[in-house]
Amino acid sequence: MIKNYFKIAIRNILKRKGLSFINIIGLSIGLACFSLFLLYAVHEFSFDQFHKEGDQVYRLYRWTADLDGEGEEGDPHLPMPLAQAFKSDFPDVEEVVRWKEAWDENFVRVDGEISRAEVCHVEASVFDVFTFPLKYGDPETALSDPKNIVLTEKMALKLFKESNPLGKQIEIRIEEDFEPFTVAAIAENIPTNSSKQFQIMGSMEYFSTTSFGKRRMDNWGSSFLSVFVKLRKGSGLADNKAALLKFREKYYPGQEAELRSSGEWKGEGAPVTYRLQALAEMHTNTNVWGGDIATVSPGSIWILLGIATGVLLIAIINFTTLSIGQSARRAREVGVRKVVGSNRAQIATQFLTESMLLSVFSVGLGLGLANMLLPFFNELSGRNLIFSFEQFPQFPWLIALVTLFTGLLAGSYPALMLSGFKPVQVLKQKIKVGGANWFTKSLVTTQFALSLGLIIATIIVINQLEFMYNQNPGFNKEQVVVVNGEEISDTTFYERFKNTLTSDSHILGIAASDMSLGAGAGWSRAGFNYKGENKQIYEYYIDDEYIDVMGLELLEGRGFEAGRQDGFNRSVVINQSMVKNFGWTEQEAIGQELTGYFGEGTNPKVIGVIQDFNFRSFREQVKPQMFHQYEDYAPMQYLVRIKSGATEAAIAAIEKAWETTLADFPLQYSFLDEDINRFYRSEKRFSKIVSWAGGISIFLACLGLLGLAALAAVNRTKEIGIRKILGARIPGIISLLSVDFLKLVLIALVIAAPITWFLLNDWLENFAYRIDIGWSVFLLAGLIALFAAFIPLGLQGLKVALVNPSESLRNE
Amino acid sequence: MIKLNNIERFYKNAAQKTWVLKDVSLEIEPGEFVTIMGPSGAGKSTLLNIIGMLDQPDSGTYQFFDEEVHRLRERKRNDLHKYYMGFVFQAYYLIDELTVYENIETPLLYRNVKKAERQSRIADVLDRFNIVAKKDLFPHQLSGGQQQLVGVARAIIANPKLLLADEPTGNLHSSQGEIIMDLFKELHNEGMTIIQVTHNEKYANYGTRVIELEDGFIKEDRRINT
Repeated sequence: MIKNYFKIAIRNILKRKGLSFINIIGLSIGLACFSLFLLYAVHEFSFDQFHKEGDQVYRLYRWTADLDGEGEEGDPHLPMPLAQAFKSDFPDVEEVVRWKEAWDENFVRVDGEISRAEVCHVEASVFDVFTFPLKYGDPETALSDPKNIVLTEKMALKLFKESNPLGKQIEIRIEEDFEPFTVAAIAENIPTNSSKQFQIMGSMEYFSTTSFGKRRMDNWGSSFLSVFVKLRKGSGLADNKAALLKFREKYYPGQEAELRSSGEWKGEGAPVTYRLQALAEMHTNTNVWGGDIATVSPGSIWILLGIATGVLLIAIINFTTLSIGQSARRAREVGVRKVVGSNRAQIATQFLTESMLLSVFSVGLGLGLANMLLPFFNELSGRNLIFSFEQFPQFPWLIALVTLFTGLLAGSYPALMLSGFKPVQVLKQKIKVGGANWFTKSLVTTQFALSLGLIIATIIVINQLEFMYNQNPGFNKEQVVVVNGEEISDTTFYERFKNTLTSDSHILGIAASDMSLGAGAGWSRAGFNYKGENKQIYEYYIDDEYIDVMGLELLEGRGFEAGRQDGFNRSVVINQSMVKNFGWTEQEAIGQELTGYFGEGTNPKVIGVIQDFNFRSFREQVKPQMFHQYEDYAPMQYLVRIKSGATEAAIAAIEKAWETTLADFPLQYSFLDEDINRFYRSEKRFSKIVSWAGGISIFLACLGLLGLAALAAVNRTKEIGIRKILGARIPGIISLLSVDFLKLVLIALVIAAPITWFLLNDWLENFAYRIDIGWSVFLLAGLIALFAAFIPLGLQGLKVALVNPSESLRNE
Repeated sequence: MIKLNNIERFYKNAAQKTWVLKDVSLEIEPGEFVTIMGPSGAGKSTLLNIIGMLDQPDSGTYQFFDEEVHRLRERKRNDLHKYYMGFVFQAYYLIDELTVYENIETPLLYRNVKKAERQSRIADVLDRFNIVAKKDLFPHQLSGGQQQLVGVARAIIANPKLLLADEPTGNLHSSQGEIIMDLFKELHNEGMTIIQVTHNEKYANYGTRVIELEDGFIKEDRRINT
């Protein structure tokens, strides 16, 4: 029986090649799209689950209640001595691993050649806690010597041009000097779904001997490294809030009382405690963030999956509407089958077999397509995914499930409808199922509503992005090259570099700061008690030239000037928001002292007020900010303003100045406007994904429309023949055939517009500086959809309209 | 075998009732070869469909062997239809996507007949109808007469007790029609009960009894002496 079903299914698919093509292409594209997003979702949700004893491993973090109005936060950065204390205080702890991330790239020298690489430092027991298989070397001894390091295979290939440089020497510039290390192990490349990534792994034991590490070894006030703990099997410590709080209070006694007396904490319970976070939660819990672990909110993963489902749904709807469109033809077969003895279930099974077969076929094709598009999708998603059943053992099952579901969903309505036909009625041709009954119409409307929703979203997201790219942030972000001087500890270097560079005619100015602006530039915030009030102020260390070179506007007072003894926090320049926050006027602000900033001693004095500028992204309102000046301190970022139109010459000049001042070390630079635009990388990614999804869905919807129009035209061949004899012209006939469908597009717009407006307005709330959604967005989206829909309708209409009426009527 | 009592069938339009069958009562014994005749719209096909359980009367009773058909649930009615009846249509109604062999096989598949038995039964019927050479062709590759032979073969493959034929020769040339009628005659001689609808007086004479319908009434019911 089932063989018979397959036979007839295949013959039907082959017989109606055009419609089968539309169905298979549509479903394949839908499924390709869906499987890519599914792969993405599986990848995101599978983070950190490959560690063999991962269910016993937790990340320790400090939880702080909402003290400054910015929400509660989890900070995984902890002080160095805490790990050992935690281990000795809790017998449930089997192992602790401190992990000092690489903050920047270090200079690394192999065979005299210098390059940059990230070096992290971890406890030697790291391989007992995490599952990072070693390709060469022994996990027991890999980091047993402080001068041992572990490389990933990728890094080994990059630095040594071979995958097994075991025992070879590598020099790493730590603090001032290059130090020799021995490659003691090569780790297999870290899977992409690991939160913890590394390039070079050094030992914590070594780190403790560096001057940075030595100063912090017993310092409970400097929090900068991650602590991972491995608990005994069955330990309940992770949920034991009381014990963790007791631990916090043991090492930071009286903190709650202090915060209460200063008025910073008025809520219930303790404002600061420790918590343990399961490894598997690190990637998707956005409440604990910071460091090298990028978190992704599960909501955004679900939104992407939702969009992919929408695209797939459009393809499924095509299948359904086209099946309904053809049902008049299939009805007779159903009648005959019933007369010769079939029951309803058998008929339904037959139709489901057909849709299932198409679904399986399309999944095959779709996976092929998805595999082809994977590199492109990786660029879009910012991930490095592969179709690996080894990495994602659940993926084949999910795909099988999707296939089954697609087949069932696509085939269920035709199966139910067709199997319900009464033989006497269909054999007498009493049932008229045309191209467009109300059900088909509502399905087509759904397709266009989904497509329009995505198109509208695309336009709005792109508009907001353009707005953020082009909106003046209050400083001149164009034509500024940011040179990275983080690793340069020589305090005279900057002056020499600057002097060499200023003489070049392509350089307009050069300034320095401890932090650049834009994505990844970092930030620092000072919290102090100003006359009994808790103040949180962003602070930047800058040089004399900064305000000028960046094009900031001084409203009152003066900027930093050489010879005025502004250094060492004696003077500050503040922004308008800070003026407002402190309840001053701009004139009053000059000369004010920031009492409480140092606790005791000389307070910094306000010497100038600048106009607010967006030193952070447009997502945030401008916050209170102050500038200090440093003294005897090497700045870390050099901002070089270059002449417009002379980028290449200016870069060449910078390279030359760098080399003459400091040979050997590779130069690293970026463009400030690009750094700032990178703030919106996730939005840009989102806009790309939404626009692709929108394009694909409108394409699929139009593909379906092409099929439906063809079926509708067949039903109306006679009518069109008669109309032509009566004098109808081609444009009239095309509009006759199109107008019904185009109406549906308009209805879809009416449905999609308010829903998308609501959703996107909500999204725009993420931005302190945002566009308003105007009606023109909906007009544009509607025009795009109408135009797209008219292409298949017009083509089909033209084809029918060109048929000679004598032909079309003879067939009747 | 068949006992119809006061069968009525009508369509209701807004205020008007249109009768298709009115007060039809008749009895058919096993082994009869009945021809239903009458002008277009007299209700011939409707009567045939009601007997074949493809359609239900609006009132009246229908007894098939011991079963009170009008009281049966749809499922049971479908079973009776499936195991006791074969249908032949004017327009053949073969399934376009299936070959001759597969078309004849379909009823057996729905009756869960084992493969070996299916093969032997189909081989028999192909042989008997002289269409062995055509078994792998699709319907559109056959002439009308050949298609109807397949239609008859499909109708009788499951050994029904009753063969119902709705103008089986309506679309055929007279020579082809005669072949079909000869076949019916032969089946009847082997004991098959046959009810056919036809316009053709000549073909009516192949049967044993003629029922003449007009405007939904039985106008005449006569036996033919053979």
